[in-house]
Amino acid sequence: MDFSFFLSAFLRLLPGVPLTLQLAFVSVGLGMVLALILALLRLSRIRPFEWIARVYIFLFRSTPLLVQIFLIYYGLSQFQTVRYSVLWPILRQPYWCAIIALALNTAAYGSEIIRGGLRSVPEGQIEAARACGMSRITVFRRIVLPLAIRQALPAYGNEIILMVKATALASVITMMEITGLAAKLISESYRAVEVFVVAGSIYLIINYVITRVIHLLEYWLTPHLRSVSTPVVIEREDAA
Amino acid sequence: MSLPQQQHEPADEIVPAVRIRDLRKAYGAFEVLKGVSLDANDGDVVSILGSSGSGKSTMLRCINMLETPTGGEVSIGGETIRMKQTKAGPKPADRAQVDRLRAHVGMVFQSFNLWSHKTVLENVIEAPLHVQGRSRAECVEEAKELLAKVGISDKINHYPIHLSGGQQQRAAIARALGQRPRVMLFDEPTSALDPELVGEVLKVMRALAEEGRTMLVVTHEMGFARDVSSKVVFLHKGVVEEEGRPDEVFSSSRSERLRQFLTR
Repeated sequence: MDFSFFLSAFLRLLPGVPLTLQLAFVSVGLGMVLALILALLRLSRIRPFEWIARVYIFLFRSTPLLVQIFLIYYGLSQFQTVRYSVLWPILRQPYWCAIIALALNTAAYGSEIIRGGLRSVPEGQIEAARACGMSRITVFRRIVLPLAIRQALPAYGNEIILMVKATALASVITMMEITGLAAKLISESYRAVEVFVVAGSIYLIINYVITRVIHLLEYWLTPHLRSVSTPVVIEREDAA
Repeated sequence: MSLPQQQHEPADEIVPAVRIRDLRKAYGAFEVLKGVSLDANDGDVVSILGSSGSGKSTMLRCINMLETPTGGEVSIGGETIRMKQTKAGPKPADRAQVDRLRAHVGMVFQSFNLWSHKTVLENVIEAPLHVQGRSRAECVEEAKELLAKVGISDKINHYPIHLSGGQQQRAAIARALGQRPRVMLFDEPTSALDPELVGEVLKVMRALAEEGRTMLVVTHEMGFARDVSSKVVFLHKGVVEEEGRPDEVFSSSRSERLRQFLTR
């Protein structure tokens, strides 16, 4: 075991972490907005909207992310209209192409998770909200969405972790994130196993932190599901 | 938001808190309500009786448009809910009007329907704060009074899941009261409760009736209907079979169906 090589590999790959995190978080953020829109379209009970969402979800879930990245990075530039459009400064950059591909892809999965969350909200609680005079928007903002988020959070956490790992694919369009740097280091050192072990460990650490954060968020958002015996403020007020 | 309380009305004219005229509701070819009319004045406690399937819950839910009637008229505090015809049947013409009128109608459900992600206090202040736009301090203070009134001050920061059914229903009553409603609708408020918990909810409802609250109560509690209500309405197969003061209705019912219903 050459420990010093592991350490130097670790130090060589570490500069890729910010890019990996950027790719993951920007695409998850954008994807979440799109996912919510898609879920609402899907539940809109307006046929054309429903179908737009269905077709979108079908396309992006049924084709490999790698293919989507290639099509967006190499495919779009084949069209002259794209090259002359105002979007070209964005679409010519591998960074934005990767983010767009990742965001479009996660939106498809995310929308199904959110849709499940929205549908899990008990009808009675929605009725109670309507009955006290809330407008549709208020019902959605104050009751439906908060309950749906709580329901969808564990599954969405899963999706976030998947996205962190999916950023590795951005390396195929020249992005020097963790995996990109790893590939470069391998071509220099020819020590693929050690480098990939190090790269994998870095993803492991990132995802460990993310898992903990999601758990904390879940704990913080669901006091109503915990047993009363948990030492929280409630107990102290009870005794008073 | 202003509440259409008594001061908005001419003193010499009685405007019923709730007025229902020829209310109809059909699901496809099946008519649940076949033309029901009912007036409830301020301070009235109307008990609505009937066997299951008689349309009593549907009628109550039509008052605040949780069910959309297929015909007839509903007025709250003298304001008639405007309807329009669509391909899918009648719908409220102005959703904002419905929302505005609903704010004056407190509803208590059979299955409580408290918002599970909010504490008891948050449940009670939700509508005053986010629908009526009152100040938080005022809402919280009033909510505390209401929760004391229904006897669950000690559960103020608990979540609904940690409460018994009776406590949940009393919290739901406090939530409805928080709207400062002109009229309260109770949809079988004790039907989902264990028998030993029914009493505590009925006690709260009696207290509200004694305060002079306007209440429409769909119930199977004959004792409550007999002792507390100012009017009893008996629905059978979507029509009002009999209505009157409780002593009349219970002791000398004209309708054979009601006699049958009461002896069961």
